[in-house]
Amino acid sequence: MIANPAPSPTAARQWFLARSDLDALIQALRKSGRTVIGPTVRDGAIVNDEIASASDLPSGIRDEQAAGRYRLADRSDERVFGYTVGPTPWKRFTFPPNLEISTAHMSGGFGFEEPHIVVPELAFLGVRACEIAALAMQDRVFLGSPFTDEDFRARRKAALIVAVQCTTSSSTCFCSSMGTGPEVRSGYDILLTEIDDGFVVQAGSPVGAAIVAQVPTRRPTHAETGAAVDVVEAVRTQIGEPLPIAGIDQRLQHQLDNPRWALVGERCVECGNCTMSCPTCFCTAVTERSDMEGKSSVTERMWDSCFDVNFAKVAGGDFRARPRDRYRQWLTHKFSTWMDQFGSFGCVGCGRCITWCPVRIDVREELLAIAPIIQPIERPVAVEPVAASPGDFSIARLASVREETDDTTTLSLTDLDPAFLAGRPGQFVMVALPAFPAVPISISRFHATGIDLTIRAVGATSTALVNLHPGAKVGVRGPLGTFWPIEDAYGRHAVVVAGGVGLSPLHGLVEALVANRDRFESVSLYYGSRTPEDQLFRDDLVAWSAGKAIDVAVTVDRAGPEWKGRVGVVTTLFDMMACDCSRITAFVVGPERMMQASVQSLISKGVPPERIYVSMERHMECGIGLCGHCQTGPYFVCKDGPVFSLSELGDLYVREGI
Amino acid sequence: MASTGKAVRPRVAVAKFASCDGCQLTILDLEEHLLEIVSRFDIVEFPEATSRHSPGPYDVVFVEGSISAPDHLDQIKALRKQARLLVTIGACATAGGIQALRNWADHDAFRATVYEHPDWIESLSTATPVSDHVKVDAELRGCPIDPGQLLELMTAVIVGRRPQIRDEAVCRECKRRGIVCMVVATGQACMGPVTTSGCNALCPSYGRGCYGCFGPRSAANARSWSADLLRSGRPPEEVWRLFAGFTAYAEPSRAVLTELGKTKP
Repeated sequence: MIANPAPSPTAARQWFLARSDLDALIQALRKSGRTVIGPTVRDGAIVNDEIASASDLPSGIRDEQAAGRYRLADRSDERVFGYTVGPTPWKRFTFPPNLEISTAHMSGGFGFEEPHIVVPELAFLGVRACEIAALAMQDRVFLGSPFTDEDFRARRKAALIVAVQCTTSSSTCFCSSMGTGPEVRSGYDILLTEIDDGFVVQAGSPVGAAIVAQVPTRRPTHAETGAAVDVVEAVRTQIGEPLPIAGIDQRLQHQLDNPRWALVGERCVECGNCTMSCPTCFCTAVTERSDMEGKSSVTERMWDSCFDVNFAKVAGGDFRARPRDRYRQWLTHKFSTWMDQFGSFGCVGCGRCITWCPVRIDVREELLAIAPIIQPIERPVAVEPVAASPGDFSIARLASVREETDDTTTLSLTDLDPAFLAGRPGQFVMVALPAFPAVPISISRFHATGIDLTIRAVGATSTALVNLHPGAKVGVRGPLGTFWPIEDAYGRHAVVVAGGVGLSPLHGLVEALVANRDRFESVSLYYGSRTPEDQLFRDDLVAWSAGKAIDVAVTVDRAGPEWKGRVGVVTTLFDMMACDCSRITAFVVGPERMMQASVQSLISKGVPPERIYVSMERHMECGIGLCGHCQTGPYFVCKDGPVFSLSELGDLYVREGI
Repeated sequence: MASTGKAVRPRVAVAKFASCDGCQLTILDLEEHLLEIVSRFDIVEFPEATSRHSPGPYDVVFVEGSISAPDHLDQIKALRKQARLLVTIGACATAGGIQALRNWADHDAFRATVYEHPDWIESLSTATPVSDHVKVDAELRGCPIDPGQLLELMTAVIVGRRPQIRDEAVCRECKRRGIVCMVVATGQACMGPVTTSGCNALCPSYGRGCYGCFGPRSAANARSWSADLLRSGRPPEEVWRLFAGFTAYAEPSRAVLTELGKTKP
């Protein structure tokens, strides 16, 4: 019976049914002409089967469930619903495993006949919240399109639902993650909540109310109705924190090439027990049974499984030839494409696919490993930049000029607006001179009285800047953009990877790491440059190294015989990482190719992508998200970056031509 | 081979090699269908049923038994030449049968242990499935075969279509029948997940794990299943025995046994 949503439990009329009178309810259901299907113990499990009386119910029995394991045990009380869902999905009775769907007659003409639909009047006793949700999901599948399954409709209509609130949970339960339970809220004719001596009863339909009226009940006490509410709330607590399911339908679509599919494909034995046990899986195969006389043929539909090796086969080949393809099909259908087709997930969180998997694959583990939620690192809000329109610059004074290398110079600016001093390492400023286009320059150091800009002379503006003399005036707008989230490395291994002039935007970060050394498990700097002469901040490198507070490793691409250090690209230094790489937070800047290689190496070592930060260099004319030059995917690098975590960038970072 | 009436009944021969005759008996066990079968098929050669012999060619030859003796090698080739359709029936013919366990053992030592005059015994050192020697058009699995599948195959021959024989795990039949999985609920060993269906989950319906007599299905992940049996605490000898049944010599069971026993057949 497809019942209307029940009114809220507090408003609905409630009764108390003593446990000793439960049989009266079962007999009333039977007297109404219905066969009662309910929980009963058979072959070491609580299955749903025909119930003649309350003595058939599993009194004082509980179940223990885990991946690939189901056992019964005794309870210390007489409860008859003190367990969770067993191996039998209710679809068995609304969507039978084998069904004749047509007959063909070949003698005396030729024709197909659909069987006359005759379905039994059933009462489902003990339907849980997740199972009500599953029935509703199959409603959408079988009745929600112009093509309907009339056999299903008839069976569904002929089934009266006696729901039961869960008063316990299994380790395999995750209804609260899927939003289907543990509370039964609607979709029932009668609802039972089992408490110490009996049941708090509610009716969800006139038919249900009429049945309840035939059963000896009394008005429940406040204590009883309160206990009925508390017991379900306790189950929610028992199930624990919901899984991060929100958005997983989208996340899965970005993980179709995840290597985990192959790993789970190697474990999966493709028995199909997950799909057979699943209360929502609806795939079927059709077979013919013809007689040898050639007079008639019966077409039978049976439960099929997308794990079947022939499931996606055509004459020319198999669209899902590998186990990984078939596992991916199942999981993505349940948690992603079902949403597109039917407007919900195809999973209710009953956990049957976990319990009844003989090789103990836990769909929750696979799901979260394949499509993990990326916890965005909360970053402090940047200060409001000084001069925030394209034509506006504040004036700073050049305090000193220092040559770092042949082509790179550090300018110290002073007389700045205090907002500049509140900036953080990783941010940049737009620098302008009259008649020269403004250029983005990262801040390499914060002083008490100003900031340093370390500039490589590559264009007209940068060349003009490095040729200035102390005392000159410079136009600056800033501080702009995102900064290094140093807090994300607290308690972890902080790893700084710099290539060439890329040490400039990292210099301030390293100083901050050194100043707060106690907050980090370790601090390491890996620095590669073309030649020893191209190294920036040589004095600082020596000082950091000598201080032993941090590990400094340098390498050069090429060097003369006087160079006693390492030669090779910066990633060759990564062999020195002796720590647990999953506990690294990395900060990477350098030439594009060096960054790509470094990032890939870090990921392969197990550094989480959401904890690898890069600073992107892009063409910028304004620095405040208006000129459009720096747009990369959904981001303006100037204001959404330049510092991004790799998980924020995703494919953008490795895909060509973005 | 579409039916055009009783006048052109296909000529059928049943042949046996190394086997127990149980599959031939399954044909005779189709009691209620026997009259229909003989009205549709001309059974001209059937050692379990009649001493009558009739030379080929035959439309359909059902072959029981594995190739285990030197004579078999020529006999099966000759039979193939006489057969329009050659159908192997049972675990012996399709997988080598229980006797294929000798493929992992010392054949001479076996002979010497069992027979007083081992030199009188002419047998091959291996028992192999028919398909190792000649082309096979269809096979019916099981020890013995399933009467329903046999009837379906015979019907398909008459109707002129492919027999509808599913390539799926025994687990599917358990689930459709509502049989509680004993692997999960009791911890019993069962070969169902890697075994071809067709028996309608006969053993599990009696509370006994599947013996695997229908043999591994085409996509059987025997490696994962054996690894899981080991992981659940079963000693390697027990896992070896689970795979070393009626269809031990069929891949991928053969590969699992070779790996477990560290020996090649």
